[in-house]
Amino acid sequence: IDFFPENFYFNVDHGYLEGLVQGCKAGLLTQQDYINLVQCETLEDVKIHLQTTDYGNFLDNQTNPLTVSKTDTEMRKKLCREFEYFRNHSLEPLSTVFTYMTYMIDNVILLMNGALQKKSVKEILVKCHPLGRFTEMEAANIAETPSDLFNAVQVETPLAPFFQDCMSENTLDELNIELLRSKLHEPYLEAVYEFCKNHGDVTAEIMCPILEFEADRRAFIITLNSFLYPEGLRLLAQAEDSDQMRRAADHDGVYKPLFGAVGGGSGGKTLEDVFCEREVHMNVLAFNRQFHYGVFYAYTKLKEQEMRNSVWIAACISQRHRTNINYTILNHIPY
Amino acid sequence: MAAPDLRAEVDSLLLQLLQDLEELEAKRAALNSRVEEGWFSLSKARYAMGAKSVGPLQYASRMEPQVCVYISEAQDGLQKFWLVRPSAQTPEEVGPREAALRRRKGLTGTPEPESFPALQDPLNWFGILVPHSLRQAQASFREGLQLAADMASLQIRIDWGRSQLRGLQEKLKQLEPESA
Repeated sequence: IDFFPENFYFNVDHGYLEGLVQGCKAGLLTQQDYINLVQCETLEDVKIHLQTTDYGNFLDNQTNPLTVSKTDTEMRKKLCREFEYFRNHSLEPLSTVFTYMTYMIDNVILLMNGALQKKSVKEILVKCHPLGRFTEMEAANIAETPSDLFNAVQVETPLAPFFQDCMSENTLDELNIELLRSKLHEPYLEAVYEFCKNHGDVTAEIMCPILEFEADRRAFIITLNSFLYPEGLRLLAQAEDSDQMRRAADHDGVYKPLFGAVGGGSGGKTLEDVFCEREVHMNVLAFNRQFHYGVFYAYTKLKEQEMRNSVWIAACISQRHRTNINYTILNHIPY
Repeated sequence: MAAPDLRAEVDSLLLQLLQDLEELEAKRAALNSRVEEGWFSLSKARYAMGAKSVGPLQYASRMEPQVCVYISEAQDGLQKFWLVRPSAQTPEEVGPREAALRRRKGLTGTPEPESFPALQDPLNWFGILVPHSLRQAQASFREGLQLAADMASLQIRIDWGRSQLRGLQEKLKQLEPESA
């Protein structure tokens, strides 16, 4: 039990939501649920099994035939409803945490790419992540070029502070827009980190390591993916091959065992798998403490992981690759 | 033509036919594998990038083919399928000494040497840094494409072989109406 006086006041503003999120967390799919899902032979079976979980009848209104894409869409809708419920009922400073958890950066990048390719804004808005909508998105209608959009976003949105250190340049082509995405995430993650740190208390204890890990994970994955795309991306990665990257990681007590766990060959774990497991582990641990905001972040991340797992299983089942399912998923589960 | 020579020809045709059939079956199995692998790699890519990030929403509004199919016709009427990049304008590069060259799938019908824009890798529709699984998917589908062209050529050769065989067997019958 955390014995700080602040905790006694936590419940006044946030007690209801904390209780709610603990309840939601208890409804996450368990190992047994996944075992049942993996044994399904068709997507209809998957739907039936999911009816016994917190997902309930979420697929009932779908027309035949059931597809993996529809399953993913409906799961995402459910997550968004829950998230919006939490967000709408939250008070500061929890509300700010929810704002930080959204996907506004990804949506802005999508809009910029769309402007670059001269696609209609309607087309792009469909692709945007529902958890990243902000009112000024509609203003994208009048932006003709990525630069216009860039200026509009800078002036009017909650993202404005993050753009300051980034490129102010007019050469916004595909490569630069992708670089912009990575560059935006840095100050964004730092802002969230500072917010949590300044809040102090258990929130800082839980959230700061999680955010640090997230930043490192992004850097590793980007570096890894960029080895196959060397031109232009040395800006992001100092390491020039995976050995160098591994050597850099060896110096760190946290990352050395992670890299050590990466298996060789097609049956082994990939680096992403290993990072995934650690992220899930850290998120689960957040629920062992009370009176902090980390549980909301952790729940959302665990739910998203659950969605990824379920959609992966569904895809394997629909492609009749059931034997291949087991190899990573069962490690990416909270229980 | 003497019957023994005809028989010998029938034999060799039959052997060739059976060989082609075997090759066709092998290629068909390989194509099925490649396609399965491709879809599986796509699922892995969706796991890494998000299911909505790898799908029809990412298609470019203007798509240009990376590969075109040319059909070449030999003197004996046998057709063969070739996969080429659209920028290969000159037919001579494509196939050896063909009588006629016909373009089946391509950008436009006009053969004038317009400067095509640099071929866009469709992988870029999904982002600049894509996971390895997406590249693997592309590689699998590309291999499958080559297999499909080979299979089409083989099937034409098999049909041609069968009709040749029938013709020869007719001739044999006429020469030796009493033979079993």
